[in-house]
Amino acid sequence: MKVHARPWAMVVTIGLLLCVTLSGFAYAALGDRLLGRGSKGSEVTELQKKLVQLGYVVGKVDGKFGSKTEAAIRRFQKEHGLRVDGLAGTQTIKEVKRLTGQSTNASGKAVGYKNTDTNLLARAVNAEARGEPYVGQVAVAAVILNRIADPAFPKTIADIIYQPRAFSSVDDGQINLPPSASAIRAAQEAMNGSDPSGGAVFFFNPAKTSNKYIWSRPQIKQIGNHMFTK
Amino acid sequence: MRRKFWIGALAVAFLISLGWGWNQYRVAGEHRLAAENNNRRALTDFASHLDQLETDMAKGNVASTPAQRILYLSQVSSKSDAALKDFAQIPAQQTGLSYVGQFLTQSGDFARTLAQRIAGGGTISAEEEKILRDMHERLMPVNQQVQDLIVRLDTEQLVWTDPAPKLRQRLGLGTQVAEAAADGSEAPAKSVRSGLDQLDASLQKLPPFTYSGEYSTRVVEKPLGLPTGDVTREQSLEKARDFLNKMGYSDAAPEFGGESQGALGGYIWKSKDSYLEVSRQGGVITLYRNQREIEPRTLSTEEASKKAKAVLQTLGWQLVITSSEEFGAYVQFDAVVEKDGVRIYPDKVRLMIALDNGQLVGLDSSPYYAFHHTRTFPSKITMDQAVRKLRPNFQVLESRLAVIAKSGNQEVYCYEFRGRYQGEEYLVYLNAATGSEEKIQRIIKTPRGEFLK
Repeated sequence: MKVHARPWAMVVTIGLLLCVTLSGFAYAALGDRLLGRGSKGSEVTELQKKLVQLGYVVGKVDGKFGSKTEAAIRRFQKEHGLRVDGLAGTQTIKEVKRLTGQSTNASGKAVGYKNTDTNLLARAVNAEARGEPYVGQVAVAAVILNRIADPAFPKTIADIIYQPRAFSSVDDGQINLPPSASAIRAAQEAMNGSDPSGGAVFFFNPAKTSNKYIWSRPQIKQIGNHMFTK
Repeated sequence: MRRKFWIGALAVAFLISLGWGWNQYRVAGEHRLAAENNNRRALTDFASHLDQLETDMAKGNVASTPAQRILYLSQVSSKSDAALKDFAQIPAQQTGLSYVGQFLTQSGDFARTLAQRIAGGGTISAEEEKILRDMHERLMPVNQQVQDLIVRLDTEQLVWTDPAPKLRQRLGLGTQVAEAAADGSEAPAKSVRSGLDQLDASLQKLPPFTYSGEYSTRVVEKPLGLPTGDVTREQSLEKARDFLNKMGYSDAAPEFGGESQGALGGYIWKSKDSYLEVSRQGGVITLYRNQREIEPRTLSTEEASKKAKAVLQTLGWQLVITSSEEFGAYVQFDAVVEKDGVRIYPDKVRLMIALDNGQLVGLDSSPYYAFHHTRTFPSKITMDQAVRKLRPNFQVLESRLAVIAKSGNQEVYCYEFRGRYQGEEYLVYLNAATGSEEKIQRIIKTPRGEFLK
């Protein structure tokens, strides 16, 4: 019989299996095991936190791999060119970990996330342009950055976003909603120099705005529901 | 019996709601006070920074040694930054272009430009001395008026939000007092904001300053790289269709999506998941985006880079890829012109390659068309001479000639050195003609690729 032929293999296999399962219980770290619908524990919490950080809605961060977490994993996989199966396996977890990792300098020393501004910018994009086409979201982020380059506006992202009456989403609190993945991507892209707005410093929804000042600005183009102006 | 019970229940309910209302009123009052304190802090800080700015400008005008001038000019620039920050926190009824802000930004910018020049051993021309004096002249009345607002805040009970709102407003039915006042319709002199608006209007009437610095000019008014001759809407449709066909969308039937204005203005076309902009002048694709669903990746970044090169060739561009950024399902590449061994960074085209099949899903060629032109290169120092200008122990990994963009829409012809110093990696740019340092960028490795800061 095979088992008798190679008893050491059996021992090693059982030993390994025991090691893996036991370490899974004792020191559950993200990436040690496959997570899927129904998984529970601190690794799931860690995974959920990282998904939120990347802009994927998981509902409550509770350490339970439910339908919302599965949907988030599916969307993450779809948007990152991975096989869409709703399971957090080695590849998916590796990608999640990589994208939420800190930046490093040339010799590998961690220097922080380097994205505090991008995060606020992404929140503004999310609050102002949710439901707009992606190009329109990049354009909204670009408007905020164009203001920095314009002498007539404040000089930091926070100063511009929180300037009194500058953005309605600040007045109604929507700015504090966690940004979506596409808002984060749009903010990153605009920070990297893309400007589909054509140098705009204002944008508004023509169907909802009667403000004379904003209508008087020279219009550049309309993307989705937003008119972008000088 | 029943009636008594109901009266009792109503009385209890009334008392509870009264208590609740009172508590809410108290909490709201606390928030109002916190806001009031913040506003006062911003305005007082604004006035105080303006005052220091004015004093430093005066001192900067008279200082005779370069070291003293640098000191005061640097203080002018930092005080103007601080004043601008305070100014942006004062309550407003709407945000528009602000001439107070512009004046502060430009005086700080001008002072910084001059300080940098003196620090590099340069001098200030008589004309620039005059601009500096003019800025000071213009600042004095601004300073006075803001201080006057502070005095009136106390003596005339000037408001931004009413400290004792009327019942109607307390119930949230009316508009905020400061808003109504700033509208200009209701007692215009009664609010801080209307005072600042008047100041803004008075600055708007004055001529702009002419100098060269980061904030002196804003955008390229005329694109330099667009082909000549205008195209019609029909011709632009043809260009859009042709482009989509080349990119592998053979059944594309673009629909008109409006016109765009401005320097690179033209026609917008939409087709299924695609969004395209074709310029009116020259009829070239300035922006293209495809939002199709991207399947699981089959390509690595290196393979995508090859695809990007092929796309560039198909579209007739002669460019080199300089950087990449990974966005998961697609990779973004930046490609620039390289002419006679000189990398021309302003002439940039950005491409996005889908990692499922290598198709182009994004193109932004607006920087290229805005800046591309035939450049003539001035005489330069040799590479050896340039290397000697670098810091000792700076370990050079790569070097080349390059044209980089400088603030204020200027360009500089440079030697680019990529190298290491004490565990950090940098890009150092030395002016190719003089060898002076033009720009330093630190290289950070982010999860999505290299990032220059």
